[in-house]
Amino acid sequence: MAATYSPPTLGQSLSSALAEARLRFVNISRYPGQLVLEIIIPIVFAAMPMLLGRATAGAQAGANFEANTGTANYVAFLLIGSNVFTIVSNAFWHMAYWLRFEQETGTLESIYLTPTSSVTLALGLSIYSAVRALITASVSYIAGCLVFRVNPFQGDVLLACAFIAVGLIPVYAVALLFGALVLKVKESNALIGLMQWVVSFLMGIFFPVAVLPPVVRWVALAFPPTWMTNGARSALLGVGFFFDKWYWDMGVLWAFLLFTPLFSFWVFNRVENGVKRNEGMGQF
Amino acid sequence: MTANTTQTEILRGPAAWLSALAAMAWKELTIMVRYPVEFIASFGQVFVIVTVLTLAGLMFSKGGADNAGASSQTAGLVVYGFIIFIFLSDTLWTIGYNVRREQKQGTLEQLYLSPASKFASLLSRVAVTLVWTGLLSVCSAVLMSVLIGTLPFHNVALGAAILALALSGTFGVGFAFAALTLRVREAGQTAANFFQFVFMLLCAPFFPFSGLPDWLRVVSRLIPLSYSVDAFRSTMMGYPNGYPELAPIGVEIGIVAAFGVLMPLLGYWLYKREEDRARRKGSISDY
Repeated sequence: MAATYSPPTLGQSLSSALAEARLRFVNISRYPGQLVLEIIIPIVFAAMPMLLGRATAGAQAGANFEANTGTANYVAFLLIGSNVFTIVSNAFWHMAYWLRFEQETGTLESIYLTPTSSVTLALGLSIYSAVRALITASVSYIAGCLVFRVNPFQGDVLLACAFIAVGLIPVYAVALLFGALVLKVKESNALIGLMQWVVSFLMGIFFPVAVLPPVVRWVALAFPPTWMTNGARSALLGVGFFFDKWYWDMGVLWAFLLFTPLFSFWVFNRVENGVKRNEGMGQF
Repeated sequence: MTANTTQTEILRGPAAWLSALAAMAWKELTIMVRYPVEFIASFGQVFVIVTVLTLAGLMFSKGGADNAGASSQTAGLVVYGFIIFIFLSDTLWTIGYNVRREQKQGTLEQLYLSPASKFASLLSRVAVTLVWTGLLSVCSAVLMSVLIGTLPFHNVALGAAILALALSGTFGVGFAFAALTLRVREAGQTAANFFQFVFMLLCAPFFPFSGLPDWLRVVSRLIPLSYSVDAFRSTMMGYPNGYPELAPIGVEIGIVAAFGVLMPLLGYWLYKREEDRARRKGSISDY
């Protein structure tokens, strides 16, 4: 009697994804220092331009910053940038490094022999990564504001949270796209290193994207984190939405949310099949 | 008997050690060029970091991004600090964390089974940092000076001597970090990030020490790398008013020289200790 294979049901896939997320949570619970560092890094990172600006511009720092960005509250502006950057950067690191780590340790091939699809595992990883990043970024933003003596709860906090939440799905979809690139090129560290700085540049981590040259600005606007960052900044600090009203900007993020995952799954599956056919899965 | 003696002589002595070091450094450089994406990506990364930091700093200046290229002092401050930062960062990862990478890939134990010098193995990793990071530093300095302002360029010989001593000390930090990585294993990644960010804050590579609160400046004064940053950039900037910030230049050079000579010795001693401990416990290949 031959065993027949039937694809996993939706419930089984969800269970696998949650098991993958749980595995990651158990793993990170063994390294609490990493979480503490994730809270400290965005604060230190935002402090760099802050300290340089204060030292070089002196008492004019706030006024100059307002003239260039639309708000004198440079502490919150920079902290929002560095924390959204951490969320986006985490998505890229976790997705790409997951694949690369499995490749390096020789377990990626074994994973592909299980009946669970890699996209299901990527979903579990995304759940873990998003929860982890949201918690650490929120704590980091509040702690940073308190350290630099700024009210973290000014403006429309709920709207800012909505921009971040809606933006997360397209961000993880782009990260999956990036995972496909790592599968293909196999040099995750360098690619992630470059990518996270390109992301920070395009999303306007410490400056409004309006200062970028026109062509670069258009590229930046085709990138979901740019809308997340500006949405959160506008909701909290009133620097101005791209389309003047919040719901238009939110509409663009929703368009990203519907389109990006489909496109990413398609690309990832194509690359994955190509790598499998060429027996490159276990190579690094 | 004679043949055996000759073979032993070939494997020992300074010539053999240097030959092994050269072969290992060559191996590291060969690996480096075998990953062209990494090669190009790290170049691109430096250019983007420079642009991001420059634009961030310009948001505090009158005229904002239109003001690019105007401030010579800010250029010197950031560019020379960045050079020390990039060397420290690369040293932590390529010397310190590389040991962990070998552990993960399962090749560290094999290295220990070969008769080659373990110190040469550690030192060979410096070659990549010197060649590649040196090239990156020059390129980033040129780019930054275009973006922020003409780079002040004074006392080049003394500046180069201070940089050499600072780098020697930094490599010592790398050896010590390799020792720490052998002990803490996976947490070494977190530790590398942590040290990088502590350096960014306390050693003020991207802003003047006067930007730090008084109590943090006290902590900065306890770290020799702070004096490396301050002495190097003050010398290259031609000692403008208020520089060096932490101590008179003579004192700073003394501290940097002591750091450059003693830190590699201390770092290697720590590594040797940790290596012996790992071998005794049989944990060289653990991860």
